[in-house]
Formats: sequence, C-alpha cells, structure tokens
Amino acid sequence: MDKKSIDRIVKEAFSLGKKALAEPDAKEILRLSSVPVPRSVLVKDVTGAIEAAEKIGYPVALKIVSPEIVHKSDIGGVALGVRDSRDIVDRWSNMILNIADENPVAMIEGFLVEEMMPRGVEVVIGAVKDAQFGTVVMFGTGGVAVELMKDVSFRLGPVDKEEAFEMMGEVRGYPLLTGFRGDTIKDLGAIADCIVKLSRLVALTDGIKEFEINPLIVYESGVMAVDARAVLG
Amino acid sequence: MPKGLEHLFNPKSIAVVGVSDKPGKLSAIIMESLLESGFPGMVYPVNPRHTTVGGQRCYQSIEAIGADIDLAILAVPASEVIPVLRNAGGTVKSAVVISGGFAESGAQGIATEKELAALARKSGLRIIGPNCMGIFDTISKVDTFFIPGSRIRRPARGGLSIISQSGSFAATALDELASEGIGVARVISYGNMCDVNESDCLDFLREDVHTSAVALYIESVDDGRRFVESASRCSLKKPVLAVKVGRRDSGASAARSHTGALAGRYEAYKAAFRKAGVIELEGYEDFMCGCKAFGRGTSAKGNRVVIITDGGGVGVNLADLCESAGLKVVPVPDNVRERLASVFPPYFSIGNPMDLTGSATDDMFADALDASFSGDSFDIAIVAVLWGPPGLTDDLPEMLAQKAMLFGSKPLIICSPGGDYARGRAGLFRRHGQTVFATPEGAARAASILARSAEMVKRRVKKDG
Repeated sequence: MDKKSIDRIVKEAFSLGKKALAEPDAKEILRLSSVPVPRSVLVKDVTGAIEAAEKIGYPVALKIVSPEIVHKSDIGGVALGVRDSRDIVDRWSNMILNIADENPVAMIEGFLVEEMMPRGVEVVIGAVKDAQFGTVVMFGTGGVAVELMKDVSFRLGPVDKEEAFEMMGEVRGYPLLTGFRGDTIKDLGAIADCIVKLSRLVALTDGIKEFEINPLIVYESGVMAVDARAVLG
Repeated sequence: MPKGLEHLFNPKSIAVVGVSDKPGKLSAIIMESLLESGFPGMVYPVNPRHTTVGGQRCYQSIEAIGADIDLAILAVPASEVIPVLRNAGGTVKSAVVISGGFAESGAQGIATEKELAALARKSGLRIIGPNCMGIFDTISKVDTFFIPGSRIRRPARGGLSIISQSGSFAATALDELASEGIGVARVISYGNMCDVNESDCLDFLREDVHTSAVALYIESVDDGRRFVESASRCSLKKPVLAVKVGRRDSGASAARSHTGALAGRYEAYKAAFRKAGVIELEGYEDFMCGCKAFGRGTSAKGNRVVIITDGGGVGVNLADLCESAGLKVVPVPDNVRERLASVFPPYFSIGNPMDLTGSATDDMFADALDASFSGDSFDIAIVAVLWGPPGLTDDLPEMLAQKAMLFGSKPLIICSPGGDYARGRAGLFRRHGQTVFATPEGAARAASILARSAEMVKRRVKKDG
C-alpha cells in the first residue's frame, strides 16, 4: 500500500472542497493498495472516448464521472458493453440526456472509458469509520440491490485473513462462491485479500470516511474491482 | 483493578445523605435495605434538618461524622449533590449518586453533570451515576436500589454479575431472577456514567473472584475502543453477555455508499461485541435466558444437545429449535442405546430426541438422563417434562437434581411447559437448584447461548493461544 500517494489524493480532494471521491480517484487508490482494477482512461468528450476505446479495445464500459453522483447507474450514468464508435456516440448522448433529467446541477468531471470485464460473481466490500468503534468492515453479495437484500456481514477493522473468511461464510450467498449448481469455485483467497486490504486502507487513511468496492467481480482465479467510491470526512 | 472501585464494592463505612423519617422517601428505603441486607460495616444517616432518624443519631453533614467514609449514597436534589461532596472533601472515597436532574434533563443538568464529572476527576472520588439505582451487591451487602423488596425482590448470592445502563431494566431483571431462584454477585446500574462507566465495571468484574459471568445492558458505550479492550480481557476469563438497545439509526448523512447506509450504529456494536468475545443477546427475554443459562455456574464445552421428553411433539419442536439455533441434536451412541433398550419397554423411541411416551416414570427420566449425559457424547441436556403421565411424581425434580450433580459443570436445562400444575412443578425444579423454562423456545435459547459461549471460547483459545 502506497500510503504517501493515497494521502496525497485524499488531501487534494479535500483542498478542492470535495465530499466524495469519484470512480477514477477511488480506483487509483485501489491500484495503490494493490487491489486489481480494470484498465481505464478518463476523457472529456466523445472524440476522446472513441480514441480511448480504440486503445483499450471494444467492447468497453462508459461511465459518468462526478463526485456528486454516488450511485451512477441509478441515474443512467453507466453504459456497459459499448460495441463500437457509433455505439459510443449513441450511448453518450443518451447518458447526457439522462443526467440532464435526473441531476442537472451535478458537476461532471468527465467520462471513464474502461475495458469490459467478463462476467463473474459480484460481491461488495466496504468499510466505514464509526465514531465509537473505528473502522467497520462489510462484506456482502453484490450488485445494486445490496441495500434491499442486506446479505452482508460486519467486523471491526482492521481484519485479518481468517476474519475475512469468516465474513464470507456468514452471508447467505456464500454458496454462489463455492460452486453453486455446477458453477466453478471462485477465488476466495483473492476476496479475503481484498477485504484485508480495504480494511487496512480505511483504518490507516485519515480523511476517508467510507470506501466501497461494488461490485468486486470474482473469478475462478483473481478478482476485479469494477466500481468504487469513497466518502470523505 | 481500576483505581478506587474497591470502595464502591467493598466499603467498610457508608453515609446515606438525605435520610428522614418520612416513610417512602428514597433514602429511607435505602437505609432500610442496608439494614435488611445485613451490611456489616458502619452506616451513618446524614441530614442537616434532623438530629435523629429512626432513633439513630443523624449527622448534619458527612464531615460532621468525623470518620472516613468509603461510600456516600446521595438521594438529594441535583443542586445539592456537588456541595455535599465538595464539603465532604477527602473524607469520602466513593459515591453513588441516585439523584436525577442531570444530563438527561436539559442544558442546566448537562452543565451540573459536567461539573460533577470534573469534581470526580480532580479529587479521585469515584462516582456511580447520577440518575441511577446504584449497586445491589450480595458480596459486600450494599443495596442502593431504592425500590422496596416487597416490589422488587432481591436475589440470593450467586456468581452472576449485571452491569446495566438502565436502572429499571436491572431492577426488573433482579426481581425475575429472584423468582427464578438464580443468585447474583454484583449488580450495577450506572445511569449517566459521569465517572464510572461500563468498561470500569468490566475491568473490576474481570478480577472479581465472586463473579463467574457478566451480563450487560447497554444503550450506548462511553468509549467504544476502550469497551472492546475491557470486554475482550474480561471475556477471556468469564462469559460476557450483552444486550444493546436503541438500534434504530438517526442522522444518516446525505452522500453515502451502500456500506454507509447498511453499516449503522447497531452493526458497529455487533462487530464490536464479536471482536470482544461478547455474546450478543436480543432483548429482555434473551437477557433473562442468558442470565438463567449462566446463573448456576454451569457452562457447556460444545453444541451437542440431548433432548429427553415424554412428549413426542415437544421433543421434535425442541429439536427443530435447537438445530435452527446452531445446536447439534446428534444421535445417541450405540452403547447408550443398548443400555437403555435393556431397561425400557420395546416401544420407546431411544433416539434424540428421546421419547419416553405416556408410560414415562420418574425412574425412566433419571435413567435416560444418566445413561445419555454421563459420558462425553453430549454437551447440554434438555429435559422437557409434560406432566400428564401418572408415573411422574413430585419426586422427579429432586431425582433429576441429584443426577445433575454428577455431571459437574455440564448444563442441564429443564423445560416444564403447561398451566398451573406444570408451573407448580417448575417451582419444585427451581427449589432443587435447576434452571427451568416454561417454553421449548426459552430452553433452546438458553442452550444456544451456552453453545455460543463455548464456540467463542474455542475461537479465542485458537486465536490468542
């Protein structure tokens, strides 16, 4: 974990008066914490997006970048599986219209063009700072419905690997990770590793109040943090 | 041990401030309780408006007593608390401030409480309260719970200690424990915790040889990190159970992650309990189950349960409840089965649950318990007695109690469901020192709490060596 660089990102965001970190900064912090993230490029306009997509290779994901929009997909700020340059132009325009409708005053920092990751099992890993007890770490089955399903478990951080495995074992969706209905067994060790790293990241970094990877896509071998956000304070 | 707490829990002299002859006044009830509980030290009534109280000399002030006072009990108006303690100077070592009218009652009260806290800090005087019921202690025989024994019965001496932020919760639990025949060691209602808080109490009870288990009622802790530390250290030595109330969240911030929305205050408490090796309880009923489970000094080594009953339905019900509470209703080993098959009628189902049917007799219950529970096949026994069969008599409770003595610290839980007759028999079990529940749910809960404690111990041993 490159604490110095992480502190610099958080400090800079504070100095700009930000209350949250948008996806690119959050992912940069993950990269600095040795959590795998997909390749991505932050762009300002459609031309830049097409250029970036050619470099990364289609299909790509296109996402709005704004520290004021915590849940992007809720307002149509995420386009997945974008096929070609024409598709980029279409989906881009759609996205702009959506945001104009849903959150017209949001400060837009740009758009993130990102390599599309293959499907896997989606989990969520988060950590918050509690005023009384310090870092509280969460693991759960992922996706946007996490608040509805509440299939999550908690520990006080920082957690060790053994606790991370216990956390996984406590959620109802655990069998999804261990070969549910003929599926392959997923990389539990890599998840545990992420839980430990995130718990340390939040425990050791001043200014990060909440940090969440959602979803973390889990494969037979390895994991990928395809979206992340942080709340400062 | 935290500094100064010995004066609260082992005082040689007590001053009760604000005593008068008016019956029903809090300080009068406290005086009476101290007499009734047989407190062996000196008790000095203090009230500037009286020269005698109940025929005993009454002192104008604490300093007028002319002796060191280990514990001052104050049930005077909030505005008088600080002057009384300040005037007493160094002669008082500790105080229980029963009085309300502090931080719970608005700006003026908050300011007065701050002043009281500062006084404690500066002088080294240890204070429990304000706004509390104080201490009920069967070891030191201090009783500041200001509700007469006719309303709230006091339990006998036992190994269970209770730390409660709420006085009424503690008092109600005390009363029920007394009715259940469960004894206590020290019960502390600490109220607004201007000085002594839950962590101080945990530190004290950890080293207290009279305490074998600790049950907490918490609304909010003073210092979360210290609580985790104190509870962790205490739970390495004895079981620590806790109920946390006030679970609903307030003040959610606007920009939040899903984690932020899901990780409320209560989740933080749960995680803290887990880290500290504290067994979490759900509410009052669960609290009572926990107190009863640990109130007789028994503890389980694991989660294997044997269920013995004369009611097939209740047996299966118990088995379901146990399994869903994480207990293991494992099969009865062959040697036990053979031993019982040779003495029981052929139509008995010798399994787990073990159904002794309507032909059950006192001896059969005793034999079944003896055969299944004396070896190492089970960690907990639940005996559910339905009182219909004519072969069951009032001798059964004593017979099972005698068997229970052979099992050492292994817990036997009695379930005696039903109406008046069954309740009367439950009373017989209690009289013979047994832990009794009226419902299968209660019995299964108690078993599950014992098993969770066993699991916690195993995990701690593995982790901390």
